[in-house]
Amino acid sequence: MSVGPYNYSYIFKYIIIGDMGVGKSCLLHQFTEKKFMSDCPHTIGVEFGTRIIEVSGQKIKLQIWDTAGQERFRAVTRSYYRGAAGALMVYDITRRSTYNHLSSWLTDTRNLTNPSTVIFLIGNKCDLNAARDVTYEEAKQFADENGLMFVEASAKSGENVEEAFLETAKKIYQSIQDGRLDLNAAESGVQHKPSQPGGRNTLVNDQTASKDSCSC
Amino acid sequence: MDEVLDEVVPTEDLKKYEKVYHEQLSSGNITQKAQFEYAWCLVRSKYSGDIRKGLILLEELFHTDKEESKRDYLYYLAIGNARIKEYNKALQYVRGFLQIEPGNHQVHDLEVVIKRRMEKEGLVGVALTGGIVLGIAGVVGLALALAKKK
Repeated sequence: MSVGPYNYSYIFKYIIIGDMGVGKSCLLHQFTEKKFMSDCPHTIGVEFGTRIIEVSGQKIKLQIWDTAGQERFRAVTRSYYRGAAGALMVYDITRRSTYNHLSSWLTDTRNLTNPSTVIFLIGNKCDLNAARDVTYEEAKQFADENGLMFVEASAKSGENVEEAFLETAKKIYQSIQDGRLDLNAAESGVQHKPSQPGGRNTLVNDQTASKDSCSC
Repeated sequence: MDEVLDEVVPTEDLKKYEKVYHEQLSSGNITQKAQFEYAWCLVRSKYSGDIRKGLILLEELFHTDKEESKRDYLYYLAIGNARIKEYNKALQYVRGFLQIEPGNHQVHDLEVVIKRRMEKEGLVGVALTGGIVLGIAGVVGLALALAKKK
């Protein structure tokens, strides 16, 4: 099989949000490059990353917008929330203030995305357990109360990073299957590519077939 | 990185931050926050006129705002110039940035994309010139052939 640029059936748009220094860009880098970026400067504005994953035998391209956590970027980065199918909301388990600000990030997300947007809470830096400032239990409770998916992860060790990105995609895919997510809605954050698995071949075959019938 | 260079600001956002900026402008007291937010929207516009306006505002901020904010202005000066295909200028800002933060991957990525675009668009230029040369050669060849016949 050729790996062409359209070798996927869906595109899901994600955003990564949360306070400055919680490790948003490092999580993205770990997910797309499978490497830990040890010296990670503050993101300016937004960064972008992409990776093709597979859910239930369907290839899905994730288009991930990683937003700067610095306050001065907060207002304008809100325009990137629109049309996100998934939102990864990140805090740092060793800094309580980043956890305390979650409700404000959640309010922004709820206001600017649509009801079907999957929100996944990530407690990053779980490799630094000795410096822990937020317990797993209280974060889990916050997630449950607000209907969020939740894991503690480490961009450094890679623990649970794949899981967070993949579980979000599974949930979105499930919403599509259940008909809860309307693919035709302008801001669903999901694009469906007409080419199903083997779709490109079908297209080519169709053309040949029609050519044949013409020449008859 | 291509996506960051190609994405376009939603019109309602541009209008929103334009309004704030103009209100402050008429009251005679423009905050750096309002100027930056408006400039950031302008350099992501699809119109080069808007982008150029954004670049002027960013340059002004670069000269007046505090040191730690300069990296943001340099970055968007590079982005804006790249979007209007002023690649050499864009690279100057990139180099300026990398002098302050040599290891910044975000700006390194931007540099790679700008160079790739220069190369791609440069090659298109060469191909065009090549075509003209071929065309001229063809005419000369034809003229020679005609001259020989005589």
